[in-house]
Amino acid sequence: MSGFFHNMLTSFRRELSHMVHHRMYRMLAIVLPVISFAFFAVMFDNGSIRKLPVAMLDQDDTPLSRKLSTMIGETPGVLIAYDISDMDEGERLMRKGVVSGIVQIPDGFEREIYGNEQTHVEAYISGANISVNGMLAKDIQTAVQTFTAGVQLTKLQAAGLTSYQAMAQIMPIRFSKHVISNPYLNYGYYLAPIFMFMMLMIFTVLTTVYAIGRELRYSTAGEWLDSASGDMTAALLGKTLPITMIMFILSQVMFLIMFRGVGVPLNGSFWVLLAGIVLFIVSYQAISVFIISVLGNLRLGLSIGGGYSVLAFTFSGLTFPIMAMYPVMQYLSKIFPFTYFTEIFIDQAMRGAPAVYSTMPIVCMAAFVVLPILVMPRLKRLATDSKYWGKL
Amino acid sequence: MKSLGHILKTYWKQFLSVISNELHAIFTDAGVLLVVVLAIFIYTTIYSCAYGTQVLRNVPLGVVDMCKTPESRALVSAIDSGPNTVVAYEPTSMAEAEEMFFAREIYGVVYIPSDYSKNIYAGMQANVSLYLDGSYLLMYRQAFQELVAGIGTTGAMVEVQRLMAKGTNAQLTKSTVQPVIYQTHNLFNPYLGYGSFVMPAIIMVIIQQTLLIGIGMIGGTWREQGLYDKLRPAGERRMATLPIVMGKAVTYLMVYALTLTVILNVLYRVFGFPINGRTIDLVAFLLPYLLSCIFMSIAVSTLFRHRESSLLLLLWTSIPVLLLSGASYPREAIPDWLYMLGQILPSSSGVEGFIHIRTMGASLGEVMPQVKLLWILTIVYGGLACIGIHAVTTGDLNERIRARVKSRMASLKVRIEGR
Repeated sequence: MSGFFHNMLTSFRRELSHMVHHRMYRMLAIVLPVISFAFFAVMFDNGSIRKLPVAMLDQDDTPLSRKLSTMIGETPGVLIAYDISDMDEGERLMRKGVVSGIVQIPDGFEREIYGNEQTHVEAYISGANISVNGMLAKDIQTAVQTFTAGVQLTKLQAAGLTSYQAMAQIMPIRFSKHVISNPYLNYGYYLAPIFMFMMLMIFTVLTTVYAIGRELRYSTAGEWLDSASGDMTAALLGKTLPITMIMFILSQVMFLIMFRGVGVPLNGSFWVLLAGIVLFIVSYQAISVFIISVLGNLRLGLSIGGGYSVLAFTFSGLTFPIMAMYPVMQYLSKIFPFTYFTEIFIDQAMRGAPAVYSTMPIVCMAAFVVLPILVMPRLKRLATDSKYWGKL
Repeated sequence: MKSLGHILKTYWKQFLSVISNELHAIFTDAGVLLVVVLAIFIYTTIYSCAYGTQVLRNVPLGVVDMCKTPESRALVSAIDSGPNTVVAYEPTSMAEAEEMFFAREIYGVVYIPSDYSKNIYAGMQANVSLYLDGSYLLMYRQAFQELVAGIGTTGAMVEVQRLMAKGTNAQLTKSTVQPVIYQTHNLFNPYLGYGSFVMPAIIMVIIQQTLLIGIGMIGGTWREQGLYDKLRPAGERRMATLPIVMGKAVTYLMVYALTLTVILNVLYRVFGFPINGRTIDLVAFLLPYLLSCIFMSIAVSTLFRHRESSLLLLLWTSIPVLLLSGASYPREAIPDWLYMLGQILPSSSGVEGFIHIRTMGASLGEVMPQVKLLWILTIVYGGLACIGIHAVTTGDLNERIRARVKSRMASLKVRIEGR
C-alpha cells in the first residue's frame, strides 16, 4: 500500500509541475474562474435595478384617470416613460424596444365610475421577455387594485358604512403573504450563486479533461503512467487530486464572494453545503475522466465535456421547473450532478431545510464516482499504446 | 509595376482558393464540423425539448383547512380548479405541511384558520395565510397569481351575497364589487411560453459562440502547425490579407445562412416559436450580425496558439454573453456600465434586434440603432481581422510560428522514438 501512495505522490508532483509550467492551466484553474465569479457578482449587484418603461394611453384625461396613472408610475417597478395619444404609437414604441408595456385608460373612465357603472382598464404587456412581463404585470395590477379599492371605499362610506365595515365589504377575505426562503424575491440571490456553480463546474470539467487529454494529444501519456510506476489508479489519482484541491479552494473563494459580497442568505447548514461542494467537484471530475477515457481524444473530449457542462443549467429547473418538463426531459435532468447540487444549495442556503433532506442528493452525486472505475482498463490501454497518441 | 487588373485577378484567385480551402477545413475536420455545423442543431434541439412544454401548470400546494365548513371548502376548490395550482395534499397541521414542503411534495401552503366562516357570516374580514416558496421564482409567480385570483373570486362572491342581502340592485352591486375591470393582454407570446421567450436569444448567442470557438479552432490549429502557408497561391511570394479575410468570411456566411434557414423554418415551426416580421427585414438584419460575428471570430482566432485553446478559453463566456444581451435577465437590472460594455459584442445588438423583428414583428427601420451598431462592429472587427491575419501570415510572427512548429515537431519525434 505504501507503494501505491508513493506512486500517487510522484504522479501528483509531476502534475503540479505541469500546472506551474503551462499557461493554460493557470488560465483555466485560477484566472478565468475568478474573473467569471467577479462577473456574476457585479452582474447581479442589486443597487442598480431601474424601473421598467411603459407608455400611458390616457384617453380620458380627467383627474381620476390621471390619479390612476400617477399611482401606476409610483409603483417600484414601473416608469411611465411616454404619454401617447394612440395605440399605433404605443405599438411602435414597443417594437422599437423603448417600452415593454402600454396602459390604456378609456374615454369615459371617470364618468362611468361616478355614474356607478363598470369601467375598464387595459394593460398590453410584451411577452417577449417573461421576467419583465412578470414584474410589470404585478405592479400594474397592484396599482389598479389599490385604485379600485379606493373607489369602492369612497362609495361605501358615502353610503354610510364605517371604514372598517367598508373594508370588510370590499375585501371579505384578506390574505397575508409569507414568502419563505427568499423574502425579497431577489433574483440575484439565487442566480448569482447558481451561475458561479456553473463556472466552477465548467472549469473543473475542462481542466480535468485537458489534464488527461493533453497527455494523449502531446504523446506524454506513457511518461505519465511511468511516473506512477505503471499503476494507472495511482497515476489518475495523482493527476486529479491537485485539480480537486484547486477547485475546492476556488469554491471557498466563491462562497466568500457569494455570502459576504452578494449577500446571499445562509439559512441552513454550511457543513452540508461544504460536503455538497466537495462531492460536486469530485463527481464532475469523475464524469470528466469517464468522457476522456471513452473518447480518447482531447478535442472531442473537450467538446463533449463542455457541451454537457453547459446544458446543466437548463436541466437544474431553477428557471423553468423540472416538473413542468416532458417526462423524458425530467429523467434527463438526473444525469447532471448540478441538478442535485442546486437542490442542496436551495435547501441549505435559502430554505434552511434540516440536513436530512439533503441526504438523497448527496448520495446521488456520490454515485457518479463509480464512473472512472468502469473505464480504468480502457484508460490504461490509452496510456500504454502509442497508437492512441498524438491525435489532434 | 503590376497593373490593377493583375492584382484584382490574383486577389480573386486567392479569394476562391481560400473559400475552397476553408470549406475543406470545416468538412474534413470532425472537431470543427461538430462546433461549426452540428452544435447549433444539437443545442437548439435539446434546449427546445427541455422547454418543450413551454408553460408550468399545476404547481402542487398544500392546504391546511382548520375551518372545514362549506365556505372554506369553496375556497379550497377555487384554488384547486385553477390551471396553475393544484391542491396536492391537505396536511392536518402546519408542522406536517412544513415537512411536505421540505420534501418537495408541495411548493406552498394555504392556511385557513378556524374562524374563517364565522368572520364571513359576521360581515367581518376573514384571514387566510399564504406561505410561498421564493426560491423558484416561476413557480412562485404562477402559484401566487392563482391564489390571488382564487381568493379574489371567492371574496367577490361573498361581497355580492352581502350586497344582495341588503337589497342593492344588480347594476349597483356590479359597480360596487368591481368598479374597474382590469385586463392584461400579453403581446407576442400570449401564453408566456418559456421556450418562446429564451430560445430566440439562445439561438443568436449560439451563432456567435460557435463561430468564435470554431473559427478559433481552425486558427489555433493553423498557427500550431504553420498551415497558414497553405493559403499562399503557387508562384506567389506572399499572400494578400484581404482575400484571406474575405474568403473566410464568405465561407462562414454561406454555412450559417444555410443552418439558420433550417433553424428559423424547421425548428421554429416544430416547437411553435413566434414567427413575425418580414423575411427581407430579417435577412437585412442578420447579414451585419453574421458578418460582425465572423470578423470578430477571425480577429480573435489569430490569437490562439493551439487547436484546443478557443474552446478552453471561450466556452464559459456563453452564459455571461447571454445575460449581457438583456434578453433573459432584464436590461434594467444590469449595471449600466456593464450593459454598455456588452455592446461591443455583436450578440448584444443581435439578440435584441432579432427578438424585435422575429418575435415582435418590428420592421428594419424600427431596429435601426441595432443595425447601425452591427455595421460599425462589422467594420471595426473587419479591420482587426485584417490586422490579425496580416500578423500571422507575414513578417516576424509568421517566422516565429514556423520556428516553433519546427522545434515542437522535432521534440515530438524524439519523444515517440525514445519509447
